[in-house]
Amino acid sequence: MAELDRRDFLKLVGVSAGGAAAAGCSDHVEKLIPYVVQPEEITPGVAVVYASTCLECPAGCGLHVRTRESRPIKLEGNPEHPVNRGALCARGQAAIGRSYHPDRYTGPRLRGAGGALEPISWEQATALLAEKLGAAAGRVRAISGAIGPTLGSLFDRFLAAQGSSGGRLYYESFGFEALREASRAVFGVGARPIFDLEGADFVIDFGADPLESWLSPVEHARQIEATREVTAQAGRDARLVYVGPRLSLTAGNADEWLPAKPGSEGVLALGIARVALRAVRAAGRPVGGDPALLEGILAGFDAESVASRTGVPAETIERIGRAFAQAKRPAALPPGVALTSRRATATTAAVLILDAVVGAIGQTVLLPAEASATPEPASFRDVLKLIDAMKSGDVAVLLLHGGNPVYSLPPGAGFVEALDRVGFVVSFASLPDETSEKAHLILPDNTPLESWGDLAPRPGVRSLVQPTLRPLYDTQALGDTLLQVGRAQGDSVAAQLPAGSFRTVLEAAWAGTDFRAALGRGGVFETTPRGGAVSVAASAARIDFKEPQFEDGGPYLVVPVPSALLYDGRGANLSWLQETPDPVTKVAWQSWAEISHEAAKALGVGHGDVLAVETGFGRVEVPAFPRGGIRDDVIAIAIGQGHQVGLYASHAAEGRAGEARGVNVISLLPPLTDETGGRAWLTARATVSATGKHARMAQLQHTDNQRGRQLAEAVTLASLTHGEDAAHGGHASHEIRRPYDPVNDSTPESPYRWGMAIDLDRCTGCSACMVACSIENNVPQVGEDLVLRGRSMSWLRIERYVGAGEPEWGTGRKRPEDHEKLGLVDVRNLPMLCQQCGAAPCEPVCPVLATYHTPEGLNGMIYNRCIGTRYCSNNCPYKVRRFNYFDYQIESWPEPMRLMLNPDVSVRGQGVMEKCTFCVQRIETARQGAKNAGSQIADGAVTPACVQTCPTHAIEFGNLKDPKSAVSRRAEENGARAYHALHMLNTRPGISYLAKVNRGDEPEGGGHV
Amino acid sequence: MSPRFSPSRLAFLVCLLVAIAGGAVGLVGLFADRAVAGETLIAGSVCEAHELRALQAEDPSLQIQIPPEFDSPWPSREACQSHAAAEDESTPGPVQPIQFSHKHHAGLYQIDCQYCHSGTDRSPSAGVPSVGVCMGCHKQFPASYDEFAGIRTLKEHAAAETPIEWLQIYRLPEYVQFQHQAHVRKGIACQSCHGPVESMDKVIVTPDTKWWPWLLPTQKLEMGWCIQCHRANGASQDCVTCHY
Repeated sequence: MAELDRRDFLKLVGVSAGGAAAAGCSDHVEKLIPYVVQPEEITPGVAVVYASTCLECPAGCGLHVRTRESRPIKLEGNPEHPVNRGALCARGQAAIGRSYHPDRYTGPRLRGAGGALEPISWEQATALLAEKLGAAAGRVRAISGAIGPTLGSLFDRFLAAQGSSGGRLYYESFGFEALREASRAVFGVGARPIFDLEGADFVIDFGADPLESWLSPVEHARQIEATREVTAQAGRDARLVYVGPRLSLTAGNADEWLPAKPGSEGVLALGIARVALRAVRAAGRPVGGDPALLEGILAGFDAESVASRTGVPAETIERIGRAFAQAKRPAALPPGVALTSRRATATTAAVLILDAVVGAIGQTVLLPAEASATPEPASFRDVLKLIDAMKSGDVAVLLLHGGNPVYSLPPGAGFVEALDRVGFVVSFASLPDETSEKAHLILPDNTPLESWGDLAPRPGVRSLVQPTLRPLYDTQALGDTLLQVGRAQGDSVAAQLPAGSFRTVLEAAWAGTDFRAALGRGGVFETTPRGGAVSVAASAARIDFKEPQFEDGGPYLVVPVPSALLYDGRGANLSWLQETPDPVTKVAWQSWAEISHEAAKALGVGHGDVLAVETGFGRVEVPAFPRGGIRDDVIAIAIGQGHQVGLYASHAAEGRAGEARGVNVISLLPPLTDETGGRAWLTARATVSATGKHARMAQLQHTDNQRGRQLAEAVTLASLTHGEDAAHGGHASHEIRRPYDPVNDSTPESPYRWGMAIDLDRCTGCSACMVACSIENNVPQVGEDLVLRGRSMSWLRIERYVGAGEPEWGTGRKRPEDHEKLGLVDVRNLPMLCQQCGAAPCEPVCPVLATYHTPEGLNGMIYNRCIGTRYCSNNCPYKVRRFNYFDYQIESWPEPMRLMLNPDVSVRGQGVMEKCTFCVQRIETARQGAKNAGSQIADGAVTPACVQTCPTHAIEFGNLKDPKSAVSRRAEENGARAYHALHMLNTRPGISYLAKVNRGDEPEGGGHV
Repeated sequence: MSPRFSPSRLAFLVCLLVAIAGGAVGLVGLFADRAVAGETLIAGSVCEAHELRALQAEDPSLQIQIPPEFDSPWPSREACQSHAAAEDESTPGPVQPIQFSHKHHAGLYQIDCQYCHSGTDRSPSAGVPSVGVCMGCHKQFPASYDEFAGIRTLKEHAAAETPIEWLQIYRLPEYVQFQHQAHVRKGIACQSCHGPVESMDKVIVTPDTKWWPWLLPTQKLEMGWCIQCHRANGASQDCVTCHY
């Protein structure tokens, strides 16, 4: 510095002045980080789709994982997959959140002396487990969920190499064990039947929930609703009859609901079978077994005695029996989880006998050969045996992967106590749950989106799981962990394990197939074998069909309802599934107990009053939800809530870690099995009393009464036929459709006017669209507190109404009466989203033109222009606009959840209005594709997220200006039942609703249909 | 990024003037250096050899010596100059992690923009070339290029398989959904928005001299700038074309 001369000084001054000036001009600088080597299939900015498989439940739906720059941003159904054919349920949509969950274990953890989890390296963890396994000397057991055949057999080999005597237990809380055992008892085939409801024109559902959680809900929903397509005569003739104690989602979609005494479903099935048997034999058709044998089995089940045992009138039994016998493709479905009693095998057997009588076996009910059957969950008896082994100290090391048994087993089973007797508990969970919290060592598995794997949901379907995301944290695939632990144990164990990584094991298991082609398609799909001809075996005569006994404890039978969203509780830690309200009660984030209005009156409680429910096995306090659609002698509580662990599953996100969100109905249940060792759920009676406390319910809809506003309309089959005869729109409420021409709602130059046709006859209310919409459009989940304050941000909701309701203009603010009642099935599910009105009330009131009419007929919503006056929302008659009262900017999304935000959609800032724009980002992407190809946007090139995921294809989207587009044709073909919501306001919506068709008798509830 | 108002345009001009003035003062210093010459000048690198030869051509009396290891035509003199300019902190614009010159690649050698920015005609984003694309050419070049710090950094990234963290020059707010492919496929020259990048050693946002509505250049990347062109070319002015 001392030698700094004049010249250098001048240079220095010049450089720093220039530098300072340049620096002063620059804004905050972001970085552009390109690839080191860009993979050939990736173009930054363009989504790449990979085929994979959903592992949320054992149904095994195929996935298309949409990735941007190697990061999954959305899950969609794989259209080529035979199980789901392109659709996904709400749980499948939300499954992406597991990979980006803030709760994730970021690496292996060892429980320290103080009980806290401490980080440990994979090398140390592997060595530790190897040492513990060596010391266990074969006293090693494992519990796993549905992990697929390849990983499952590797796990089994690993355990065999340890000298484990009992091996691995495949545990599913919804194991449906009775299906296999009943099939063995009736037909002598010990395999779970496959229900193929394609074209099934008469379905009697004895309490299964095929539209919610039973076996393969996406597939069943598609099959049932496709069969009921009303444009075809066959669809008009199709019937669905539901038997069960409460108006479930499936019941609400049925044509007839028989609220039989819970537990008497088997008797009812036999009563119907007896009528059907006579009718089938009278018609000279074969019955599925020796007629004398069947006559013998059914002898005691004449309509009158069955009527007195079930509470279903004898005439109804006779009528349904005769109609069922005449059906072309009948199907009777055995009870689902809620009605799995201690006599579940007999009940299921009774339903299978009914199937056999009408010739459904081999048509709609397929019995795969026993040998080809896919691995099925262990029976509950085996679970109890394992718990006994643990209690007696026979298990030194227990390996746990999935299933969350601490939560999902009844406390009386003693799993938690037994766990304390196990020397070393290892969990492979990637997200913490009640079970992993009890583990000594946690070796986090990759999430399904980060893993290799496969699943064989049924014979003929082999589905591949491929990683689409590099592990976000220091986790390791379960298969690789097992291989490494085995190798760390020394050559004697390693020699019994395959060489290489789990990926090579998987490829070896798929040898003989074109692996690359299978990766592209998502798997290898062959036709499901129809199964050999089977008939009712003589062993069926030995089944005792009498009704089950319930553990006495009070007047109310506890019905544990499998949740359509949370399943057995595994969905509870995914915020989308918590925030999406239950499809029937519309309660989000909470637990509730459904009781009848009569019962509520007897207990002296109203809506939200907290009840104490006590069985001999447990006690919970839960707010009452009195409703008309439930029997007086039951109390129904949904399974899935009541977690103490998990950011969203418990109250941890609200700063109350460890506090359970809602109640776990399983804690009320005894650990009982049915006759053959399957898990029994419908087991306990309870005393119910008022506690005097009250809870506010986070409900998105407070009444099922639409007060005659003609939002969700229904027509009877007769009036539909009449309306069509009167050349479209003989019906008063539909008059608005005729003069309305969508051409007026887009500029004359525009070749497009985007619109939808939503078929209420196909919408089951499952709410998959809500989750798909939220994930596609970066819609924030606000939490219980803000839902309570009415600040849910969902752009799409399913409104549920019963009947037409009655106008109550001028009657003040009194709460309208609900219309649900026993036996009434006029439930109308109405997907409500922005109607993209041609004469939109929101547009003229915006002072800054942030919402305006686009040339293509959309109500554009320009977030960066919005100043938050909320005038538009106040003026919207459909209440579909959502305001960002709080900051949900990218920075406020929890780490690493922001990584899954869709880069094609702006994340809205605080003080900004937002709403559905028919997934305009997808329209623009399709437009670019069409422009590049030099063509117009083809029909079907744009699929909004809700349309894409709908299992029943209830929503059609497209260009209303093109008379040949699918949406125009659908609206035209169904012109007699097309209408616009709130048509009297003349908002000229872009969405045509197609009224629900009531196939039964005249809908009740009065008013206008 | 907050929207800018016209005062910021004034500020931009003022900054630019200060920068030019500052640079000029610095240059005076450089010229002053030249006067000190008398003894034999020995080149320490290929680039210095180029410069010494040029000086000698101007002034044949100059004694220069070029060791054989630096007596190479490659890297060229232009490359040397571009590299030096790209790391010159005195000129406007940030110095990138690699002293990459668009002038050298796109200008002198006329490498097509889309050779490196290959997503431009099929993606909303132009894409920045991966290390692999750079090395595709550069690994074939003689070792003498390693005298460039930029080439050494590039090779370090290639060896360590780490990405290069470039500083973004053209950044649109996240509520703007810009489609490169739509513009490129219409035949809009890259320069219409990005300026004469092929003449820049260091890329900066240059003022758009085509539109001077109030004697000041339209601020680039502002909506008014987009709309002027959309209006003039009959392109869509519908809000949801870019905002969703």
